[in-house]
Amino acid sequence: MRRLCQVFHENLACYVGPSTKSNSNGPMFQNMGVITMDFAAKKLISPILIAGGAVMLVISLIMDFTGSGASVRGMLLVLGIVAAFAGLYLFPTQKHHRKIVYIIFLFPLLFTFAVTVIIPLVLGICYSFTDWTGIRFSNIVGLGNYLTMFSDPAFIWSILITFIFVILNMVLINFVGFLLALLCTSGLKGGGFFRASYFLPNLIGGIVLGYIWQFIFNNVIIGLTGNISWLARSKTALFAIVVVYIWQYAGYIMLIYITGLTQIPGDVLEAAKIDGATPMQTLMKVKIPMIASTFTICTFLTLTSAFKQFDVNMALTNGAGSVANFMGNYLSNGTQMLALNIYNTAISKNNYALGQAKAVFFFIILAIVSLIQVRVSNKKEVEL
Amino acid sequence: MKKNVLAIMVAAATLATALAGCAGAAAPAADAPAEAETTDSAAPAETPEGGIRLVNNKVEVDAGLKKLAQAYQDKTGVPVVIESLGGGIDTQATLKGYYQADNMPDIFVFEGDIHYPTWEGLLADLSDEAWVSDTEAEYVRDGKVYGFPTTTEAIGLAYNADILAKAGVDPKSITGPESMRKAFETIDAKKDELGLTSVLGYYTESSQLWWSPGQHVFGTYFDSGLARDDTTYIDMFKDGGKLDMDRATPWAEMVALFNEYTDPAGVSGTYDSQVLGFASGKYAFVTQGSWIGATLMNDDKEAYDAAGHFEIGMIPYAFIEGQDTILTNSPNWWGVYKDGNVEEAKKFLAWCAADDGGQQILAEDCGFISPYASNTHAPDDPFAKTIAEYTAAGKTSSWHWLSMKEGIGQNATGVVFQDFAMGNFPDAKTFLDTLQQVCTNYYAN
Repeated sequence: MRRLCQVFHENLACYVGPSTKSNSNGPMFQNMGVITMDFAAKKLISPILIAGGAVMLVISLIMDFTGSGASVRGMLLVLGIVAAFAGLYLFPTQKHHRKIVYIIFLFPLLFTFAVTVIIPLVLGICYSFTDWTGIRFSNIVGLGNYLTMFSDPAFIWSILITFIFVILNMVLINFVGFLLALLCTSGLKGGGFFRASYFLPNLIGGIVLGYIWQFIFNNVIIGLTGNISWLARSKTALFAIVVVYIWQYAGYIMLIYITGLTQIPGDVLEAAKIDGATPMQTLMKVKIPMIASTFTICTFLTLTSAFKQFDVNMALTNGAGSVANFMGNYLSNGTQMLALNIYNTAISKNNYALGQAKAVFFFIILAIVSLIQVRVSNKKEVEL
Repeated sequence: MKKNVLAIMVAAATLATALAGCAGAAAPAADAPAEAETTDSAAPAETPEGGIRLVNNKVEVDAGLKKLAQAYQDKTGVPVVIESLGGGIDTQATLKGYYQADNMPDIFVFEGDIHYPTWEGLLADLSDEAWVSDTEAEYVRDGKVYGFPTTTEAIGLAYNADILAKAGVDPKSITGPESMRKAFETIDAKKDELGLTSVLGYYTESSQLWWSPGQHVFGTYFDSGLARDDTTYIDMFKDGGKLDMDRATPWAEMVALFNEYTDPAGVSGTYDSQVLGFASGKYAFVTQGSWIGATLMNDDKEAYDAAGHFEIGMIPYAFIEGQDTILTNSPNWWGVYKDGNVEEAKKFLAWCAADDGGQQILAEDCGFISPYASNTHAPDDPFAKTIAEYTAAGKTSSWHWLSMKEGIGQNATGVVFQDFAMGNFPDAKTFLDTLQQVCTNYYAN
């Protein structure tokens, strides 16, 4: 890949135009059709193209926003973009020519990224300061949504149980996943079969899995626990979500641990054996330190995925569950985690602006977690 | 040298591909109508040229509505496209997406006061339509008609007439809390002999079935026994979620009575098991409304036939002596989008409401119980008879619970009913106080 890039760069440097390299290579430079155009001509054509392209762009956008049905507007938009880029490409500069070409090549990706990520993010943050209904907004309410959100005990509860859920999951999934990995790498008969079967739940979608487990809890496990299903009480329901989520995710984490464990050099293990280390000592003193980086990866994987937990939560309990007394209030959303709370605020309560504000808060939490993850991972890599 | 030419060619090819992509997206506007017929059913439908598009939220009547559309097209030549959203899709959220994408249908479904604020200013005024004088169920807001009623649904305590007859209980004798308790006691004493699991199938599971207790059973508090235009209790509720304790106390005692005689499996059961239990004659009463008629006639047909295809009636939720009305309403309305093809949409609605037009298809193929007085067609539905009787006697109340703050059943009240059914509240008063607190909080946030 790197080699390819280099070739590409060299090519770019050649045809891009009046760089030092090309200059020293007169005849070749002369032969390049577009680039041989002299500076005077470029000086004339470039601004015309840029200006013309911009005008076409603006006209087509105005037509679009005013709801004009004219079918030429799409063509006008495309032509405008092409003209503007052509103008940019012919821009009479030696110093920045290469940068301009980079931008032109990057544009398709940047444009897609902007349309699907950047613009919605900015719009979303803006909407969180208004009373947006999903159709329109009539007032700017400033920090109103943020104040409402933090004065609502139900939301505080959602934050709280999300953190509890995340911690429980991080510990338990890694524990179970690691144990399964040890089991599958211990030379057990049929190890491949077990490896596949532990991984299988991960291939089932969360919603389907949630409904299947809801049936199991309400019809099978209920026989063991008396007349009341685990899902009917908040505490046991939360536990049920943890169990189902471990069942779904531990197999995936197991695979990563297996990869780590199989990469431990055999001579190290052999040396430990010759030195008379017990299996427990080998595990604690050799294996675990050797795969420390795998632990980091798995910890963060489980951390972020547990934070974003939505589908199992929705299918299993839909957030329902009673809390008799939390901050002096009776709550009805005993098992509703953050992502589901945001979804219900927007969709079920039809309060899009408040939901948007909560989503911004959620974004901040996830951004912090991700930044810490990147920081820690980088550090580990250096140490290794 | 060769390298350079190659590079330029690659660059040109990339640019051309990118442009082709853009152009492809921009072009279809011109020849869209021709392609409309081949539109994938998963993608939003296109409005046909000169015709209308209707968004419906009941997948189960999709086939019936398509037949209706075909009949209309055969008669007038105006094409009608039916788009059914449902099966877990939030119709209103999808419609909002359509609005943002400038792809609004000409006629779409909405659920009254809850959704009106979203579409305020976007609905066409239908006040001058002829069908308005033929029905009582049209959606009126600020003196103007905005919604076309399609069907009638009723909320009452549905009973199995066979079982009541065998137990010697006359449904007409149940006129208040005492007679209701007496009837329940009588049936409960003969439970084994009648093959009942319990007297009542009152289900309170809160993750999927929240709407039954949280909206319908709760809804009887607002309307039971009151005139159709009586908004006393809903007005009070809309002002911060306040309940009137004089009326709510006997209502809460009725809920306590339900808990006493219901199947305990109801705290974690499903809609399907509740209706199946009733269909197979395991419950004498069920706390579901007339919509289960369709389930009895289709999904649960075998069980229903095995249990003797018994007659079904409804008694009022009479928590105060003398309450003698069931709650009937159109569960949702068809609104006309004001920037759509309003004229054709109005003509289509007029034809649907007229007796010689769509009423027959709506009744027989969609199972709609017509809200129009001039209608002579009745669906093959076990509830049609009892609803007709109450309507003819003028013993119906409205569904004012539809005006509760959106999402309250799912996010607030449903769980309280389940908690009560699980025995987490010592008495009806604690239940009521908790419910009051939950509603107040819901309105505050």
